Amino acid sequence: MSNYIPTIGVEVHVELKTKTKIFSPSINGYGQMANSLTNVVDLGYPGTLPTLNKEVFNLAIKAATVLNCKIRREMHFDRKNYFYPDNPKNYQITQARTPIGYDGYVEIEVDGKTKKIEIEEMHIEEDTCKSTHRGTKTLLDFNRAGVPLIEIVTKPCISSSTEAKLYLEKLKELLYYCDISDCKMEEGSMRADANVSIRKSEKDPFGTKVEIKNIGSISNVGVSIEKEISRQEKLLENGEAFKEQTRRYDDKLGDTVLMRVKETGNDYRYFPEPDIPFIYITDEMIENVKSTIPMLPNERVKKYIEKGIPKVNAEKLIQNRMLSDYLNSILDSNINFKIAANLLLGDISAYLNKEETVLNKTTLTTERFIDLVNLMDNETLTSKNLKDILNKVMESNDSIENIIKESGVQNITDDSAIKETVKKIINENPKSVQDYKEGHDRAVKFLMGQIMKETKGSVNPKMAMDILIQELNI
Amino acid sequence: MNDKLSREEVLHVAELAKIKVTEEEIEKFQVELKKILNDVEKINDVKGYDDDILIAPWSRKTTLREDKEEEMLQPKVVIETAPRHSGNYIEVPVVISEGVSA
Repeated sequence: MSNYIPTIGVEVHVELKTKTKIFSPSINGYGQMANSLTNVVDLGYPGTLPTLNKEVFNLAIKAATVLNCKIRREMHFDRKNYFYPDNPKNYQITQARTPIGYDGYVEIEVDGKTKKIEIEEMHIEEDTCKSTHRGTKTLLDFNRAGVPLIEIVTKPCISSSTEAKLYLEKLKELLYYCDISDCKMEEGSMRADANVSIRKSEKDPFGTKVEIKNIGSISNVGVSIEKEISRQEKLLENGEAFKEQTRRYDDKLGDTVLMRVKETGNDYRYFPEPDIPFIYITDEMIENVKSTIPMLPNERVKKYIEKGIPKVNAEKLIQNRMLSDYLNSILDSNINFKIAANLLLGDISAYLNKEETVLNKTTLTTERFIDLVNLMDNETLTSKNLKDILNKVMESNDSIENIIKESGVQNITDDSAIKETVKKIINENPKSVQDYKEGHDRAVKFLMGQIMKETKGSVNPKMAMDILIQELNI
Repeated sequence: MNDKLSREEVLHVAELAKIKVTEEEIEKFQVELKKILNDVEKINDVKGYDDDILIAPWSRKTTLREDKEEEMLQPKVVIETAPRHSGNYIEVPVVISEGVSA
């Protein structure tokens, strides 16, 4: 058990899913030929002026709303001055004094308890160009320059690496479901920094803060925070003082390494951006945005549980937005949702993964899916038989009933046919019948196995069981 | 009131501006920069002005642009404006620190 209490704050940059950049009408895109998505504004040419993209505000308002932030109505931008080739203007346009959202929170579940991770503020800013270091050269690609970002800053209220990871997962889920961002950490459309300090007791002032920059995955956020806490503990135990600094997580070393001792905020010489007049957020803008917010992941889980889906499956469903959206489109229908969820998470997901495809590229329309669920619910089709016809279900336009008929996998639900088989099995296995009568439950299982074997699994198991018990007791 | 900045303050500003300064210049800037600061300080003595005036001296609001793409520059044009390039990338001397990224 550690003698220190960690204090953690997390800053997340998220690229917004707009068509064009924040200050110019160049395309906001990823993975294109280097320097093919730019114009004179993105390149910082003298005399050019920024023009603000309306959609950036819509998405920022949406983010502020789902993160439970208050929304500022009057704001301006500021220049953050620094000298570095990733930004040829020598300043980044950001919101230092009037962030669009503030005082928000995200709820996470830690050990069965709900904890609010408080959000200090979220502001809009521009991304810089991407620089790649190669030996004695640095290569610049301006496709990313001017891509709209929101930066979301928590209060120092996170007390473990687990909480930090849960917060990031929840944040990612919310932003992704609302189409605010792709949130792909591997492509850099979501980037996380963590501020970590430790102290002996809640009564002590906060310890020296160390910032860990640009961590590439949520699991690495957890690892890097753990490593940083133990590094700081060792230093303090040895009586060594350390300065505020910026470190980065090195995947290969599996540890944080020093980048630089931090500049102070004053060195950025923030001042109001004179090229962009005040921006006013109207009630109408906020109302319009609110009407585009879909059912959020938490609400979906609740709804699924209400519909009879076990919690574990409800939570699994929202991890795959395609499946969840599909299910949401039929939430009003009167079907067995437990079976529907099992199908989506089981055989259908397996098919989609194997074929590397998505639901709307298959022939499984929601109408056909409802038929499929109902046919399984009334036991015309068993899950074992479904496997035999799954490809047809996903690839042909034929009705599910026809596919079942033509494939001959129809579950035998005819009483007399089942009865005949049951009688045959009973006659062939007098020893088991005797065992049953002497009270050995295992005999039933054995006899059922024989029935399924005899019928090659095409018999309705529930009906067969009922008839078997009946016959054994005559 | 002290009538000049310290040597360290001048050197710090020079570092932020990425310029080299000679001993002679340091002495000169110690006095000149302090004079500029004192002049700017006078703004604080003005009574009753609105902070917003420092942000934008007009009440005009920004017009927001629709999210529609317009013509962009050809990569060839972009890289030819730079002194050096490597493939489609603009090339600059290696930057030692990892820099201040957003």
